[in-house]
Amino acid sequence: MSFFSLFNKKETSAGVAKDRLRIAISSDRNNTSYPFMAEMKADIIAVVRKYIDAQSVNITKESDGDVDTLGIEIIIPK
Amino acid sequence: MGIVYAIISGKGGVGKTTTTANIGIGIAQEGKKVVLVDFDLGQRNLDLILGLENRVIYDMVHVMDEEAGLKQALIKSKHTDNLFLLAASQTKDKSALVQEKVKKLIETLKEEFDYVILDAPAGIESGFEHTIMYADATIVVVNPEVSSIRDADKAIGIVDAKCERAKENKKVQKYLVINRINPAMVSSGEMLASADILDILSIDLLGKIPEDKGIVEASNTGKPIILNEKSGAGAAYKRICKRLCGENVAFEDVETFNSPSIMGKIKGLFQ
Ligand SMILES: Nc1ncnc2c1ncn2[C@@H]1O[C@H](COP(=O)(O)OP(=O)(O)OP(=O)(O)O)[C@@H](O)[C@H]1O
Ligand SMILES: [Mg+2]
Repeated sequence: MSFFSLFNKKETSAGVAKDRLRIAISSDRNNTSYPFMAEMKADIIAVVRKYIDAQSVNITKESDGDVDTLGIEIIIPK
Repeated sequence: MGIVYAIISGKGGVGKTTTTANIGIGIAQEGKKVVLVDFDLGQRNLDLILGLENRVIYDMVHVMDEEAGLKQALIKSKHTDNLFLLAASQTKDKSALVQEKVKKLIETLKEEFDYVILDAPAGIESGFEHTIMYADATIVVVNPEVSSIRDADKAIGIVDAKCERAKENKKVQKYLVINRINPAMVSSGEMLASADILDILSIDLLGKIPEDKGIVEASNTGKPIILNEKSGAGAAYKRICKRLCGENVAFEDVETFNSPSIMGKIKGLFQ
């Protein structure tokens, strides 16, 4: 945090816009590039549930240079 | 063999047609042979912005259907040598476009011109897909505003998925034009800065165009703003054209607001 920003605590609306856009666009990109995403999520939950009690699955796509990677996060109850 | 640029945006009304007209004039002024094709079928406007509305006799659909020859349909610009317009049809809509005919038209134009610039319609429907299908590169126009940026990202996704070059695993270059920047609002944090937009869309910056009242007058008179190099937007378009012609032009700061002097502000209080 810069010295100046100490006096400028209120977040700007442009900052809010950037954060909201990030999230909206990353979700758009996931849904449009893989139309089967919802089905795949359901299948993964079904497989995992054979062994443990999975609550939900989040899949995120990240692009890094020439490759895309899918991150799969499986939420299980404690 | 010329290069084909599709000017796209996703969201409507952000400045595609304005950008097409200005870039066309600017590149022609650099000595290149340029043709602009209006792909906004049913909503022909590029002729009006270029001041050529009285000269349209044949349009691109006539050419594709071989009801007119290309030479007959090309309209020469009044503002500069080397620039030609192929107008959109005003009566037939986008359903008049057939993939094979679009391909043939663009191939013919590439043989005749150094730069073939296609003005896409708003949205990401079939008219948009025809515009991007045979493009070598795209110029994405956005306004510094959330819905425009999100829609642009969608349009970029479709280019990557559907256009011929992408299908052949060739790179489709995408360049970003940020239009209608209000420097005072960027400075006060009320408008997204270009760095943030680039960060989100992650494509190459081609240029930044300020909001400019002169653009309304330019449209009123059919004389695109680039003809007035003293204007902020005109100078910005000029820099874009030099970049597109391969010149290395530094990015000007169009985002810092030069606030009026203290005296000016005090005077302002009494006005
Ligand atoms: N930099 C600018 N400053 C001020 N006004 C602008 C600027 N750029 C564009 N405009 C205005 O915005 C309006 C829309 O511009 P334009 O027609 O170029 O958008 P478009 O993307 O082609 O729209 P459509 O999607 O309907 O084809 C016009 O009235 C134009 O004069
Ligand atoms: Mg337009």
